[in-house]
Amino acid sequence: MALSDTAQLKNRIRRLRFEHGEMTQQELADRVGAARQTIIALEAGKYAPSLMLAFRLAAAFGVKTEDVFQWDANGDSLSR
Amino acid sequence: MKDSIPLAPLQKMAWFNLVVFVAVIALYLIAVPLLAWGSHRTLPAAAEPALGLFGFFGLWGFGSRFFYDRKRRAKVQLDEREQLINQHAAAVGLAAFWLVFVALCLGAWAVLTYVLHQTSLPVGVLPFLVVAGLVVNTVFQSLAILAEYQRSCNDGTL
Repeated sequence: MALSDTAQLKNRIRRLRFEHGEMTQQELADRVGAARQTIIALEAGKYAPSLMLAFRLAAAFGVKTEDVFQWDANGDSLSR
Repeated sequence: MKDSIPLAPLQKMAWFNLVVFVAVIALYLIAVPLLAWGSHRTLPAAAEPALGLFGFFGLWGFGSRFFYDRKRRAKVQLDEREQLINQHAAAVGLAAFWLVFVALCLGAWAVLTYVLHQTSLPVGVLPFLVVAGLVVNTVFQSLAILAEYQRSCNDGTL
């Protein structure tokens, strides 16, 4: 569930915002068509976005999706 | 730097619903003794006609205005997370509705059968059960919306 299973998903959104002219959360939210609260939840690691939103976020920063999101396989209880 | 985060339309609607709920319950609690005093009735006798104040729950219909942006003259689009929150809250509200509705139905049946020794249900009871269930549904849905936002939005750092 995207609202809760976020322990293994790390992201660099906050750092990328500051690397892109200290972009505000609202500016980023407007660029990707999301609410500011959603950006806040993403940065706090409390929400795992859909694939589409992940791609939009990466496009907003002009980087690849894996440069924004990293999956911690060691922390996944389902990984072998 | 911390700044205030404007409320999302779902949050506004949830707060609006809760304010209406509290206001109607407060009005009801004030109206019952006033009605009893004004019409020389007992409190239990005044409690039933005062239920007419529950009609003010119809104000909840105005909650939909939070989903219309007057400046842009367009409907407010919920993003994917807000839609998920709305779905979770609706499930919580529905579960609460069924719990309360079934409990009230069984309670009404038990009271009528074993306390009042009646075999028929007064016609006013059924609409009341439905209204009570819908009120519980809306209140729990609103609380769930606010809880979900509170849980995931407690960091407003720019």
